[in-house]
Amino acid sequence: MKMVKISWRNLWRNATRTNITITAVALCVAILIIFQALIIGLIEKAVSNTTNLLVGEVQIHANGYLDDRSIYKSLGNIEKVRAFARENNIGIVERSYGFGLISSGKKSAGTQFWGINPEFELNYFDFANNIDEGEFLSETSLNKVVLGKKLARSLAAEIGTELVVFVQGADGSLGNDLFYVSGILKNIADDIDRGAAMILKDDFDILFSTNNIVHEIALNSKGKFEAEEIQKNISSKLKDASVMTWKQLMPFIDSMVDQMSAFMLTMFSLIFTVAASLGVMNTLLMSTYDRMKEFGVIRAIGATPWRIIRQVSMEAILLTTLASIIGVIIGLGISLYLQVYGIDFSGKGNLSFGGVVFDPIWKASVSFKIVLLPVVLMFVTSIVASLYPASIAARIKPVEAIHYKP
Amino acid sequence: MSTVKSNEIVLLQNIKKDYGQGNVVTEALRGVDLKLVKGDFTVMMGPSGSGKSTLLNIIGGLDRATSGKTIINGQDIGILSNKALSLMRLNNIGFVFQNYNLIPVLTAYENAEYVLMLQGINPLQRREKVMSLLQEIGLDGLENRFPRELSGGQQQRVAIARAVASDPQLVLADEITANVDSETAQSLLELMVSLNQNNKTTFLFSTHDPAVIKFAKRVIILKDGNISNEKLSSVEIEESTHK
Repeated sequence: MKMVKISWRNLWRNATRTNITITAVALCVAILIIFQALIIGLIEKAVSNTTNLLVGEVQIHANGYLDDRSIYKSLGNIEKVRAFARENNIGIVERSYGFGLISSGKKSAGTQFWGINPEFELNYFDFANNIDEGEFLSETSLNKVVLGKKLARSLAAEIGTELVVFVQGADGSLGNDLFYVSGILKNIADDIDRGAAMILKDDFDILFSTNNIVHEIALNSKGKFEAEEIQKNISSKLKDASVMTWKQLMPFIDSMVDQMSAFMLTMFSLIFTVAASLGVMNTLLMSTYDRMKEFGVIRAIGATPWRIIRQVSMEAILLTTLASIIGVIIGLGISLYLQVYGIDFSGKGNLSFGGVVFDPIWKASVSFKIVLLPVVLMFVTSIVASLYPASIAARIKPVEAIHYKP
Repeated sequence: MSTVKSNEIVLLQNIKKDYGQGNVVTEALRGVDLKLVKGDFTVMMGPSGSGKSTLLNIIGGLDRATSGKTIINGQDIGILSNKALSLMRLNNIGFVFQNYNLIPVLTAYENAEYVLMLQGINPLQRREKVMSLLQEIGLDGLENRFPRELSGGQQQRVAIARAVASDPQLVLADEITANVDSETAQSLLELMVSLNQNNKTTFLFSTHDPAVIKFAKRVIILKDGNISNEKLSSVEIEESTHK
């Protein structure tokens, strides 16, 4: 306790110097906290975009379907999966896919048709709520279609526009029909924006001459289960299908999460902690040289070198503690604000990364770990930074230090 | 070779101290032999450059002799590590410096207490010891003042309290009257005489001040790095200090 008291008083011998250092360290802590909150917010958004938007935590396809999206590679015997989802209260949607041509007036475009059940999509996934214009499909939306935003633009389609559809049916026949635009999606993901046309599953079966065909099952527990856990369970039930987690389906997002975390943990943290610890070292070094004579006296009257090291390190700890408290208050305050209001990038176009479109309002995510890392890092580096001035103070020869003139 | 007797606090044998390297070597001490016994009140005098401070530093374990043996309280301190030397100083020696050298961020009480804290004495015992000491040296009521709030004489009293707080075997005092007026110097010396008489603490002074001599039980004259004489008359001492 006495050492804390002495160190505290020593800190304030040169209040201006100490205040400047505390400000610098506090700002570094605050910036690290805010930066982490924003990056974690971005990562969480990326993951939730990936899983909750439409991919789900796990997807099931027929073997080889993802390499060759043939209408004939459909899933069979999916009752076990439905039962598993029902028992564990996991959201499940079944989707059918087929390719064709869609025209509006003189404009036409190659399209991927999605045969969906709107009730389930609305219940378990977010993309169905991301409607820019019009409305999403409902059970009664026969011959209605929801288009991706860029596809709608390329077809110059609006709500109610009549579209002519041509496809090749599963039986080799030519399927064609008229559809009316019910809704246009917001930007979701590049492939959906450019080429998705969503229709009712019943319409799909009629158009493609199929019979309740399923190409994809997406399961979403919304975080209740780990994706790998669901994958393991389903895999044991379906031997002849490909069961993949969102990380396997969208490896770019997974690697982006890992790389961002790694980048955050190393480069950014390193730069700021090194800068802050150099400030601490500079302050303690100047303070050590200012007090050289005093250290000589303390050594003369019997303080061991280890005692001096502890004394100087204690000053670093106190300085960092005070700076950390201030930094955490500032950093957390700003992060909490950004968690609620975010940074608005909507005026600068869409925020898209790796084919995934992010919410243009970049929000922070506040958690205990965003405080822990900068504070622990700052403490460790400050103590390490204090060792150099501490060792100078500890190694001085009392007889020389007592007669030292700065 | 002489053996160390139990009441011998300091025993120096053929102490030499050289400064510099190569061809430019200054011999600050040229084979000093000295013995101080418990209860001595010794004054060391001599002109500037005679080696007084060097000798005091070597006895105090603040500096190491180039050759010779330095035995303090029966222990050859020449062979001690820096840490062991620190502990030897902590437990055996008190220092009073010319410029007081108090720790500015500590109050008078805390400065006196500091050595006891280093020794690991518990707070209650520290308080009892320091308060009685401050009372004894006439600083009662000033214990919460910082050095900057005390006069030179008061600061030197705090320095004396710090030096004797741990009941050391030996107190080394370097020119302690140099920065105070004669009246204060007189009272400081009287204080140390009483500590010497009451506690049998051994004192070794280095000084230019002839006024200190009248308090000394023993006077050593250092000249050209060696002890030139002891037990001189006041006149001879006066002359020797100005040569």
